[in-house]
Amino acid sequence: MNPGHETLQDEAEAIVDDAERPPATLQVCRYLTRSRTLRSVIGEFDIGIPVDDLKRHAIEALRRNEFMAYTVSLPDHFDSDELCFVPQDGWCDILSVRTNGWRRHHGDHRRSLNEILSDLAAAVACAKLRILSVEELEVERRRGAVLLERELDDAAGLAKARETIDAVLRDDGLPKAVRATYVLCISEAASNMLLHGGGGGRLSLRRLDDRLRTVVTDRGPGLNFVNWMEPPAADGQASMGYGLKIILDSLDAVGLHTGESGTTLLLDQLTT
Amino acid sequence: MLQTTTTPGPAPTVHLSGELDLDCADSLRGAVFAAARGAQAVVVDFGDVQFIDSSGTGIFVRLCLDLRSQGVPVTARRLPPQVRGVFDMLRVRELVGDEVFAGA
Repeated sequence: MNPGHETLQDEAEAIVDDAERPPATLQVCRYLTRSRTLRSVIGEFDIGIPVDDLKRHAIEALRRNEFMAYTVSLPDHFDSDELCFVPQDGWCDILSVRTNGWRRHHGDHRRSLNEILSDLAAAVACAKLRILSVEELEVERRRGAVLLERELDDAAGLAKARETIDAVLRDDGLPKAVRATYVLCISEAASNMLLHGGGGGRLSLRRLDDRLRTVVTDRGPGLNFVNWMEPPAADGQASMGYGLKIILDSLDAVGLHTGESGTTLLLDQLTT
Repeated sequence: MLQTTTTPGPAPTVHLSGELDLDCADSLRGAVFAAARGAQAVVVDFGDVQFIDSSGTGIFVRLCLDLRSQGVPVTARRLPPQVRGVFDMLRVRELVGDEVFAGA
């Protein structure tokens, strides 16, 4: 029984609630300093807070040049959602993390949704993770010279993909230890693509002046994060929610775009 | 590709060789559960594992928790640096307990 539920009736009501509960979400919008406007970057940004209040906090974060985070409690329950303001050069990213009451199932060893989304917000705050708009993605995904491109549609192809990528990285001169970590990160992104991204997608390894970049593009419906909260699959293949942690802990720079036409990750390994 | 071989006994050892990723779930679970049938404990030998990621780690964690609930403790031994590094990053000890690594 979930420790948060005191009686069987509570547990039963919670299960009914789960069926009706909207998915947990990460929404991102951007306050643009020059035009003094807000625009949605991930999802339709509507969190029930007046636009003028959002702008005021964004301006304050930019003035202080500090990351600002708030806990937001909804009227009917005490689930604490998060609202983060991250000042950038010329704009302020506003991240809304909404759990919608989803909690880790009892006995589930995977990371909680709050942990995953907080990691994302923290990575944006320390400039390791960059949330990309559609326009930025179109520019960034085409930078540099293509070293390798391949489709990946099932897990059986992962080992061969790693071997091929490792050979290209070795030819590029990347040291063995760095190569091992970078290949691990690419494999994590590819596994997430297979698990959550519509079952497949495309890897593109590129050489830029100062870095290697791997663009991992899936064909899924975009991140809604709720699949992390399902009970573990019987075959043990459910994601632990740790792939993104490995990526963010290991790489110098990561880009993320997610929308209805899929999710794209840019994995950058600096080489200078 | 993951290869498994089992040394029988009251506490059989499942030797892993190759790569533990999303693709290895069936062979890893199949080998360890077969070894656990009627056993007092199971040892998983990682000595010849060349690669592991969070999916492979997740499968191992599930195995440990599932078999423990059936009264069959699992221990891990001969962890190569690359396996140890991923386990440390993912705090696997906190998930399965120090006793799993008592012989590592």
